[in-house]
Order: sequence, then C-alpha cells, then structure tokens
Amino acid sequence: MGADLWGTTAIVGVGETDYVRGSDRHVCDLILDAAMEAITDAGLEPADINGIIPPPGYMSAEEIAAHLGVPDVAYHVSVLMGGASPTASLQTATMAIAGGLADNVLVCMGWNGYSALRPKPDARPTKRVMNLGPMGETVRNHYAPYGLMSAAQHYSLYLRRYVETFGIPEDAAAAVAIACRNHAQLNSKALMRGTPLSRADYDAAPFIAEPLRKFDCCVETDCATAVVMTSLEHARDLVHPAVVYLGGAEGHPEPADEIANRANLLELGIHRAAPRAFARAGVSPHDIDVLEIYDCFTYVVLLQLEALGYAEPGGAPAFVADGNIELGGRFPLNTHGGLLSQGHCWGLNHVVEATRQLRGTADAQVTDAELALVTGYGDLGDGSVAILGRDR
Amino acid sequence: MSTYVPTPEWIVLDWHHACIAAEVLCIQRCTGCGRWRHPPRRFCPACQSDRTTFEPVTGGGSVLSFAVSHRSLDPGWQTHAPYATLLVELDEGPRLLAATTTPPGEIRIGQRLAVRTEALSEHFVLVWADPAAHDEPTSMAPRARGNPHD
Repeated sequence: MGADLWGTTAIVGVGETDYVRGSDRHVCDLILDAAMEAITDAGLEPADINGIIPPPGYMSAEEIAAHLGVPDVAYHVSVLMGGASPTASLQTATMAIAGGLADNVLVCMGWNGYSALRPKPDARPTKRVMNLGPMGETVRNHYAPYGLMSAAQHYSLYLRRYVETFGIPEDAAAAVAIACRNHAQLNSKALMRGTPLSRADYDAAPFIAEPLRKFDCCVETDCATAVVMTSLEHARDLVHPAVVYLGGAEGHPEPADEIANRANLLELGIHRAAPRAFARAGVSPHDIDVLEIYDCFTYVVLLQLEALGYAEPGGAPAFVADGNIELGGRFPLNTHGGLLSQGHCWGLNHVVEATRQLRGTADAQVTDAELALVTGYGDLGDGSVAILGRDR
Repeated sequence: MSTYVPTPEWIVLDWHHACIAAEVLCIQRCTGCGRWRHPPRRFCPACQSDRTTFEPVTGGGSVLSFAVSHRSLDPGWQTHAPYATLLVELDEGPRLLAATTTPPGEIRIGQRLAVRTEALSEHFVLVWADPAAHDEPTSMAPRARGNPHD
C-alpha cells in the first residue's frame, strides 16, 4: 500500500541565499528570498504553490503564503525534529502530493544562526526564534543546570562513549572535516571558500566539548534554502530534469526526548530510518553515488555512516580514510561543504546540493551521479533519510 | 556551578520536591511492577500503570559516559572550564546527569560513584557524583579542595 508513494514525486525547484556570518537581511527576508528563488527555479509562480512546510520556527506557513502571494494553501504542516526536519519534510510533502492534498509543495528553511547571538550593530532587530520543540523541556530541566547548554555538549555525552568503545581516532573526524572543507573550496556559496583546513590546523584547534574540537563543529550562519516538490508526472513538464524522491523515512531513538536512558547510548534515529528508507527506495547503500550527510559534528557523521550500513559499528574510520569520501573517491561526501564548511541550513542545503548533483549542475559535480542519499539529524538524535535519483 | 536554576513543573517538579523532602536522591518507582524509571514518566513503559512513588535510592552508581566542556554559555560554569558532567548509571538502573567536583582527567568510564543531592531552591535539587571512597582512596580530595559552588 505504501509502495504507491515512493518514486511518484520529484524536486523541481531549489533556492538558497548566501551563507554568511552576520547578514544585513532580516531572517524573514532570507526565508522569502530562498522560497521565491525555488518557485522561480521550478518555472512556477506563487499561485501554483498550494502546500507549505515552514521552517521549525521563525515564520509560519500562513505568513509565508501571504508574503509570497500564495492565494490558496490547501495543506500545511510543521515538522519539528530540529535538523532532521527539512529532510523529513520531503516524505511529508510526498504524502500530501501522492494523497492528492496538494499539487506543488514548498519546503522552507532559514534562520539567523549567527546573528541571533551576535547581531551586527546596525542589524535589523528580530524577535523571531527557533521552535525548540520537544528538546526544550529536557535541556531546560535536566541538562542546562549541569552546564550542558549547547548541542556540542549534549552530543558529547554519547560521543565520548562512541570514541572510547571503539577507539575511534581523531584521524577519522579530521578526514570528515577536511573533506567538507576541501569541497567548500569548489562551492561558489560556501562560507569557508578561500579558507582551507589542514590537518595541522585541525590538531591545533581547541576542544569545545571533548571529543569535539573546534573544526569538528559546524559553522553558525545566517542563511535560507527552499525546495519545491511536485508529482513526477508534473515534473516532467517543467524546466529542469526531474529529481525523483525515490524513498525516505524518519526515525527516533527510544526514548527520543532524552539521551541518558537509551538502552544503547549510541542509537540514533537514523538507525531506524535507514533500513526503511532503503527498502522504500528499492536501493542498497552501495548503489549510492553521492552522500550528503548531516554534519553538525564530524563524529555524528561517522555514527550515521555506520547506521546507514556503510560500515560495521566502529568501522567508520576505515570508510572515511584514503580519500573515499573526497570528490573523485567512491563515496564523495558533502560535495557542497556541508554544515561544517558551506553553512548551516539545517540540512535543506544538503537537499539543494543533492538536487544539483542529480541535475548535473553542481559546482563540485560527481561524474554521472545517478543516486544521492541525504540525511537529517536533529534535536537529541532524531533522524531522517531521503534517497533521490535521476529520472530515467 | 550553574547560575541557571530552573523552576520545573509537572512530574519533574514532584521529583525535585521528593528529593528535597527526603534529603537524598529519590527516583520514581512503579507501584504496579516495581520498576525504577527516570526522568519521571506518567505511565510505566512495562506495565502501563500510572501509580508511582518517589523512593530513596542507595546513591551508588557508575560512570556510563561523561562530557568535558571547555567552554560554557553559563557564566557560572564557565569559571570552572574545563569541567566534567557525568552520565551516571544508578545501581537501581535509571541514569541521570550529575555534576562533579572531580577534575576531568581523573574520571573514567566504569568508575564507581557516590551520588548526593543539593537543594538549590525550594523547587530544584542538583545531583552531585564523585568517585566512591572504596573505589578511589583519594576521593576525599575534592571535598578538601572545596566544591566549585562554595
């Protein structure tokens, strides 16, 4: 029954702002700029959009519709999984389209990830904030009083266990950080273009929350991205080659709302989402040509690669070694630079990059890319997976 | 120590009040099947009963993992950086975070711990854990150095 969904929708439009530290633009302008660019890129007009999935916070679907000039919103929903939200939104959009609830769905993300804490003196003030969703209660009550306020600190609780259980070397984390930085040198919009990262730079950087050093952590940015999804049938009439949503899934660790009492401290939502996503798409991990992995932190990428089946538990260091994840390697990873070096747009920038790879228009193009895998990771370990393919 | 002291609500507040009244760490226990659980939950995941008590625990546990923060957004904690936060597995089974007076370099996964509580307000207790005396002969040293909040 569910099989009717998968492979019936496609991404037809993408938009993204610049990725900057300290934007002159109001966060709402960033979101609306990216949204309008995605609609235009699809060859559509705002009036063609009738489904909206807004960012987790900052702006509502109602506001987005009103500012863009979308006259008839037939469906909207908010997805609250932190950084797993945008990639999970693709399956939600697919349900709406395949179920006949909406024809063309706009998925938006945007935020003032840098300026929220450090606004420029002349920046336009904003009261817009992210929706912390289910994570807020746990952090307020159980983590923050113990000095764990930031994501790096929360995740270090299980990353310490990961590193010690398997003897994960810093080499592996550095390989991820450096691959993303290398790819950012090729991406016209990457924040870290022009700022290469050497292994010596990586080693010399201070710890933030062990095992995370400075360059294991993504860059805080002001930015926005958006995509438009529609039926594959409609997509074939539009301007760009259709990028088919072959399958996807979400998953949550148990319990999802706190880390400490999980039977397996190293369980991510991706462990549950990955087998579902591969089964739905009808492909296996080794069919994939491009990996766009949610890289809030390098070690979280390593754990996800294991969860996806690219390595046994503890085996990710061998997978990321020897240039395997670099452009030209077997599994190029985060070809836009990722959250670590392009900028942090909650992983919808990974979806934008995967779409460009499959259109054949990426700045760091993988030769003959036919299948791309995108992950999302958010809150206290929620996960999402999307498998995208060229239309055949 | 934390300059941030939350005022919890709902069943989390009930837990703090129980710990404050007992002057030791209490943990929620299912009246139906006897299982311990934390953080407080409405229904028992094993037997679905919502009848519970908060009962004192032995205070024994071990280090399941720990965070070492080299910087903090909390001004109080920032003065102690780098500081460790322990993920403690209690002998009764449930796990929780605990502050510690032990320097990060002296903490090991699996280390035995003794847990105690400190009321920071009428509505909030902070959980502390340090190496148990029989496990670490030098465990009185942190007290001699003074707690970070003293």
